[in-house]
Amino acid sequence: MQKPILELIKITKIFGQTKALSNMSLALYPGEVHAIVGENGAGKSTMIKIMTGIYQPTEGQIRVDGNVRTISNSQIAREAGVAAIYQEPMVFPDLNVAENIFISATNDGAWLNPKRQRQKANALIEHIGMALDVDQIASGLTLAEQQAVEIARALSQDVRVLIMDEPTASLSEHEATQLRQIAINLAKEGVAVVYISHRLEEIFEIADRVTVIRDGEHISTKLIKDVTSNSMISEMVGREVDNFFAKAPTTKTDEILLKVSNLSLDGVFEDINFDLHKGEILCFSGLIGARRTDVALSLFGVASHSSGSVIYNGQEVKFGSPREAMDAKIAYVSEDRRKFGLAMPMSIQSNMSLATLKNFLNRFGLLKVDEERKMATNFKQKLNIKTENVELEVGMLSGGNQQKVMLAKWLNMKPNLLIFDEPTRGVDVGAKVEVHNLIREFAAAGGAVLVISSDLPEVLSLGDRILVMREGKQMGILSNEDSNQEKIMALATGQNIQKEAS
Amino acid sequence: MVALLTKINPQLLRILALLLVFLTVLLFFSLVVPNYLNGRLFNRISSSVAIMALIATGQTLVIITRNIDLSIGSIVGFVAFATGSIVTNNPDLGPVALVTYAMLLGAGFGAINGVIVAYLKVPSIIVTLATMALFRSVLVEYSNAKSITTSNLPDWLISFPNTVLWHFGNMQFRAAFVVAIVIVIVVHICLSRLRVARKLYVVGSNPEAAEMVGINSKLVVFVAFILAGSLAGLAGFLFLARFGTITVVAGLGLELKSVAASVVGGVNIFGGSGTVIGALIGAMLVDLIDMSLVRWQFVSEFWREAVLGILILLSVTADAVLMRKLTAIRQKRKGVSE
Amino acid sequence: MKSLKLLGLASALLMSSVSFGAADTITLESGKDINMVLLPKFLGILVFDQANDGAQEAHKELKNPGELLFVGPTPENSVAGQIEIMTTSATQGQGAVMLSNNAGDQIVPSAKAAQAAGTKIVTWDSPIPSGEGEDVFVAQVDFGSIGTVMADMAHSLLDGSGQMAVLSATPDASNQNAWIAAMKEALKGDKYAKIELVDVVYGNDQAEVSYNRALALVDKYPDLGVIMSPTTVGIQAAAKAMQDEGLCDQVKVSGLGLPAEMLSYTLNGCAPEFTLWDFRDLGYLTYYTAYGVASGQLKGEIGETFTAGRMGDYTIEEDPGRPGSKRILMGPFTIYNKDNVEAAAK
Repeated sequence: MQKPILELIKITKIFGQTKALSNMSLALYPGEVHAIVGENGAGKSTMIKIMTGIYQPTEGQIRVDGNVRTISNSQIAREAGVAAIYQEPMVFPDLNVAENIFISATNDGAWLNPKRQRQKANALIEHIGMALDVDQIASGLTLAEQQAVEIARALSQDVRVLIMDEPTASLSEHEATQLRQIAINLAKEGVAVVYISHRLEEIFEIADRVTVIRDGEHISTKLIKDVTSNSMISEMVGREVDNFFAKAPTTKTDEILLKVSNLSLDGVFEDINFDLHKGEILCFSGLIGARRTDVALSLFGVASHSSGSVIYNGQEVKFGSPREAMDAKIAYVSEDRRKFGLAMPMSIQSNMSLATLKNFLNRFGLLKVDEERKMATNFKQKLNIKTENVELEVGMLSGGNQQKVMLAKWLNMKPNLLIFDEPTRGVDVGAKVEVHNLIREFAAAGGAVLVISSDLPEVLSLGDRILVMREGKQMGILSNEDSNQEKIMALATGQNIQKEAS
Repeated sequence: MVALLTKINPQLLRILALLLVFLTVLLFFSLVVPNYLNGRLFNRISSSVAIMALIATGQTLVIITRNIDLSIGSIVGFVAFATGSIVTNNPDLGPVALVTYAMLLGAGFGAINGVIVAYLKVPSIIVTLATMALFRSVLVEYSNAKSITTSNLPDWLISFPNTVLWHFGNMQFRAAFVVAIVIVIVVHICLSRLRVARKLYVVGSNPEAAEMVGINSKLVVFVAFILAGSLAGLAGFLFLARFGTITVVAGLGLELKSVAASVVGGVNIFGGSGTVIGALIGAMLVDLIDMSLVRWQFVSEFWREAVLGILILLSVTADAVLMRKLTAIRQKRKGVSE
Repeated sequence: MKSLKLLGLASALLMSSVSFGAADTITLESGKDINMVLLPKFLGILVFDQANDGAQEAHKELKNPGELLFVGPTPENSVAGQIEIMTTSATQGQGAVMLSNNAGDQIVPSAKAAQAAGTKIVTWDSPIPSGEGEDVFVAQVDFGSIGTVMADMAHSLLDGSGQMAVLSATPDASNQNAWIAAMKEALKGDKYAKIELVDVVYGNDQAEVSYNRALALVDKYPDLGVIMSPTTVGIQAAAKAMQDEGLCDQVKVSGLGLPAEMLSYTLNGCAPEFTLWDFRDLGYLTYYTAYGVASGQLKGEIGETFTAGRMGDYTIEEDPGRPGSKRILMGPFTIYNKDNVEAAAK
């Protein structure tokens, strides 16, 4: 076997009282896709930051090509050929694509040459199989495009170890496939690709080896053919598990809460038809760009439909603003926790009471802090939110726990209809199951749920029925029993249409 | 015209939009003020904007890194005084020595701000609010209540700013203005073309990501403050040459005017984007409105500040709307052409 | 007949009261232990330092074993700083605060609190507009006569007819406004019938603003003959602006200026004539007044006359500009021109 490019040898990292990594060893070989899995908080991020020079190990050493090296900052990591891309891409919103790609280039003279830079940027973007206007300002890019920019940036300098930290978490199925292909191609070119993901199925698709870590410790490193998804999950959570994503029995009732007929919004989506019963979970599936979120936002009053009808609770409605929808007891849990959902610097409890603040005011209009805390503590227990104190900043929580705070915020208003956009994006396996159970509990109590998800296993384990969209059109509704990943993907990518046509 | 729009980059578009607003303001005042458009107006604006152009340039460098320098007016005042007092005591000192002294002194003040903001991580608005008062107090102590007076300054210094280098009719290109314009253009070219200058934008655009791509953002912020300080120092030198009499109030209020000029000139107050050419036009626009209002019979003294505020607001709004329109046209065309 | 008699009686009474006052000139007893604070608008300005010199001179003469402090705010913090120093002085139990007020009536609450704590408030240079919280104001000149002097200087510079404009400090500087109002009043006289006051603008007592305002005035009024600036910063900036733009033949600058700053402009004809009083004397007289009031030797009542050392006798009177308030009028002032400016500049 070849010699490893990068080795971590017995690395320990201690922050104050907590041991984030303990005795961690890892070897990365050229040409391999090395998956690292573990629950959130297992130490994956710390490990990446040590490899990229952002953190220094408390103990242990790093070897590059067999020689011990101190990687004291990210510049040195870059020089050693180590680059990383993250789930939330590190782009500079005010600069254009080409400038973003060559941001840390230092070996090209003091003066910039925009023309040459543009050409090189185009070549790199093409190399990874994307189509992008390199003059475009980065603030207008989609997440997938931003990630492409980051990969191109890594490739712009000699990259020997490319760390991809949950790169597909926010991508549609189609984009994710594209990205995985990029990873495989890079490995073929001799790069050691470190691939971190919560989507186990994609690990089976691309990884050569898998390392499981738990609580900052190395659990195992195995060839992919020697592991199963259940063995991997049990190593991650530290106990035997089976049927993680089994479909729970439906709690659907006969009573129709929402009836949507021929719903259209000019130029965005058209002819959406479905019923939603009380106690039912309806999943919206499709690729990114299928306009699923637009339908949800329309129902929530953000952009009212231009034709068709919505009958809610037996009455025709057309909400002009989210406030009206909220008054009608519809809750919308946004996909983008950072942008729309949570006020990160505020406390957990104030976030939870945000949507229903008037319930926590006394007759002088002042906040009843004690009641707010009581409510928040209740939710903390009920939703198993991992925090010592509900007065802490939301921004300090892990993704899964933030998602639970969001959920609590909306459950507070006791909604009849809960719209949940990408409920477990970037959330680890354990927390995912918990969020799923909470959604099921809500449905079992008589609520209706509309889940938008790009995660097919999630759609299959949650949805009583699955509505598939493609480019603003409804492609079909499948019942859980006769759906599988292939059928959904066929609808979402429009393959059956082509079949019919041919 | 529309076809041309697709070819130019957004930065240029921004400057064009600003110029359009500038011309509109010019046109408006030429309708309401008699004897308005002439060489004299050009001379007034150009001589008066020279000092502000340098200060706004420095301020822009700092704002791009997502910081602010409120002490810049105090630095200008201090440097003007200190340079004046040096030359009063040593009348033989030449221009090179004086300018170097002024810029080094300014850079020193900038370094104080920079160390505290970048390395001790105190928010710049608090640091420079404090140093604004601090530098001014040091000046009060240092000046010992003496003023620098014109009569003690060498003739070359006093006559320098108004030396006419060349002229078209009544329009005079005076030394101070030409120096300021040359510096703005040099800084502009460096900002847009120099590889290390890009780091200013990077740090202001996304500070966390800057660290991730291996940029020493502390150093970048530190350097930005030093550059702003030395530009303020140079402005202090021009201030001394132009006004001759320097007291402890010299440069009071320039900090806010420079922020206004930068923001009017399209520099994003939250960092990450903006050009010094924009800031220059912003400074000219604010100056033009301010100066023209004094000549507009319709507005009485007591309303002038308010009207100035309203007009600046209108210009910024007009600029923003115009910018959006132009960008939209540009993108539409680009979409069609591809 | 009867009325005549009454008139005689009245005039006799009047005369006796005048002579009563004159006969009772108070000579201040030296050596009283009184701590005092001289509080200028802000620190770092020459004229305020000169006032301090005068006050220190008086302090020594009167052999006051107490302390005379010269404290003031920094320029960017003038208003808040004055209020703060006023408040601190009261808590320190200072005997008197001598204030050149830059805070308008905003100073009143803290000044009143200081008075309640037993501190005497003597203003100088710039009074408290409402007169509240103030024991007595030491006026450098009669605000009415400064108006007349400015009108006269304009008259002589314009040769009797033409346009003039005023470049003042700030729209709410109480001494400036009083002087401008007095000048407007004086201009109503027949002598000035052909002089037109076309505009009043404000340069915020900053060289750069004043400079630009002066040029804007010239642009706005092509026939302008005189810029009258009753502030030492404004007059200097206006003169420099006229000199820089080569306009001195056309527009003359005048007002209140410091000889040292105005020397070159007076000699080259840009500002042939201006006026000012002696700030050292103002500080000296203010100290005598404050010492007298704080030591209880002066009651601070209208009609009291006292001897202020080398400067002679002064009487407390009602302030004609601020009815109900009291003032001591220093006067006179010197008009400077090319004949005497060089000597004064040294």
